[in-house]
Amino acid sequence: MIHIQKVTKQYTLTKKQQKELQTNTHSINAVNEVSIYCKPGRVFSLLGPNGAGKTTLLRMVATILKPTSGSILVNDKNTVTQAQGVQKSIGFLTGSTNLYDRLTPAETVSYFGQLHGMPKEQLKKRTQLLFDQLDIHKFSTKRISQLSTGMKQRVSIARSMIHDPDVVIFDEPTSGLDIVSANSIITLIKECKDAGKTIIFSSHIMSEVDLLCDDLAIINHGKIIYNDTMDSFRAQSTGQSLTEAFITTVNAN
Amino acid sequence: MKTIFTVLKKELTCQLRDKRTLKSMLISALAIPLLLFAVFKIENSFINKENNKQLNIAFVGAHAEILKNEFTTKTFEIKKNYSLVSGLDALHKDSLDAVIETNADYLKNIDSQKTSTINVYHKSESPIVFQKISQQIETLKATLLSKRLTQLNIDQKVLHPIAIKGIDLTSDQEKFGQLIGGFLPYIFIIICFLGCLYPSIDLITGEKEKGTVETLLSSPASRFHILLGKILCISLMGLTLATLSVTGIFIGITFIDEIPPEITEMLHQILSFKFLVMLFAMLIPLSLFFAGLLTVLIVKAKTFKEAQSIATPVNMLVIFPAMMALLPGIELNWNTVFIPILNLALATKEIIAGTIQISHYFAILLSLIILALATLYYSFKQYDKESMVL
Repeated sequence: MIHIQKVTKQYTLTKKQQKELQTNTHSINAVNEVSIYCKPGRVFSLLGPNGAGKTTLLRMVATILKPTSGSILVNDKNTVTQAQGVQKSIGFLTGSTNLYDRLTPAETVSYFGQLHGMPKEQLKKRTQLLFDQLDIHKFSTKRISQLSTGMKQRVSIARSMIHDPDVVIFDEPTSGLDIVSANSIITLIKECKDAGKTIIFSSHIMSEVDLLCDDLAIINHGKIIYNDTMDSFRAQSTGQSLTEAFITTVNAN
Repeated sequence: MKTIFTVLKKELTCQLRDKRTLKSMLISALAIPLLLFAVFKIENSFINKENNKQLNIAFVGAHAEILKNEFTTKTFEIKKNYSLVSGLDALHKDSLDAVIETNADYLKNIDSQKTSTINVYHKSESPIVFQKISQQIETLKATLLSKRLTQLNIDQKVLHPIAIKGIDLTSDQEKFGQLIGGFLPYIFIIICFLGCLYPSIDLITGEKEKGTVETLLSSPASRFHILLGKILCISLMGLTLATLSVTGIFIGITFIDEIPPEITEMLHQILSFKFLVMLFAMLIPLSLFFAGLLTVLIVKAKTFKEAQSIATPVNMLVIFPAMMALLPGIELNWNTVFIPILNLALATKEIIAGTIQISHYFAILLSLIILALATLYYSFKQYDKESMVL
């Protein structure tokens, strides 16, 4: 589970940034007093326009950033004081397939497995399983730079899931992908849900949200403006498409 | 420790698969011996050509014919029918190498025990011309002087009341240390820095630019271990390139025929186990210092270009103290022992010459280790900041 309690992330603005944002304030809250709860076996969707604070919030869950105030618990472990424990139980997958071009898929997955402290035998078995599931074997020894976007995305998934995490964070995982590659991500999210994992994912695509989500939070200007189940959101948006309902909610706040 | 090794292994794999890195390694290993070979070959062929060249000279003036007799060797080809004006014109057009002019009083002055002047018109772009003509005239001068002294019944020894005999106690090794000792550290310090430059940008800024840093930081590996793995890789690349360049210099000197055998022999004496241990003991903290320094400087950069513009001027800060060691009068003492880079360059010079004081050596080693640790600590402080890494 993920329990986010009154989390704020404040950034100090440099003079250059103040000029760019045309503001006199010395700091800005990218995330402001956000509280959400993601349960195991359910998909929690985080929606919001660009710059709303989704990525900052997910980065804090992934221990990459530290909250200015508030706390985040992942499987009852604090992301600041017990960061290593949290890191062992999370998988982080972003939309842009960020991989090391000069390594092969096998080397990439093995590298991350080793960073997670996996024993050799376990790493071998898990790699075999993921490569079977994601059909990576035929290009596992090719350099990443020689792979197509879809292939890279599959490697990216294998890298994020190598340590079999209980909590999976997807930050706009399908952005920039073709339908086939995007579908592999959708399938992965469904499989994670069926396996009882806790899933939090941010997206712009309402059809994906509709298909996958159990719970939903909408974030705008760093604040949560909607937080309920997907069923409640659907019920609330009668006569409107989900996209229209989302826009109405954002504009109302 | 395992994480550091995992990161190091991965980064080394990536670096060694990079064509740019491989090219720079190959260039470092091969360029210096090839360059040495080319320089010595060209220089030798130039000197040989100059030495064997027959000089076209013309004599002008009242007593030209008398002087001509002194220049009958194969070195000179005497061209006829030149006046001073046409001779100088030919000299400008490079059809003559020199014009030798005797004045009207030449014979009169010689006969009356006075000084006669011979004007040698030449172009200083080829110093060997004036040198060869002077040598020839010196022979004539010696003959005339001897004749005069005989006429006056004076022993030649009268002209040399004191003979100066310099007895140089500098050993061949010391001479060699002075000759190559300044040049060698200059090369390997610069190459060590350049060897660290590209990998540091690639491993620190490149990871940020490509967006791979997020997943790396969300892994259980500590940031300190990740950074240490990266810094070790950067330093290892610098160290490898410096080693290859030093090896290149020694291979070049050993196999280039044009280099006098006594230098090659001396080189083999210098290349002792002790020398190599002393050199590498300094190179290791130096490369770590460069890796830490570059990391501190570029950790904030968001793009490859930005990192390059920050790191490239540092080159000058490295070259300047390395160059200072080449200047005469700059010696290793308690004032220079703590100046980074300069101390290493001067120490190498003294190690080669065999004159290094062990207290100086350990002070340098200690200062380099402290510097490496300081930059390592500061780079971690920077790398641990969210704003720096993302």
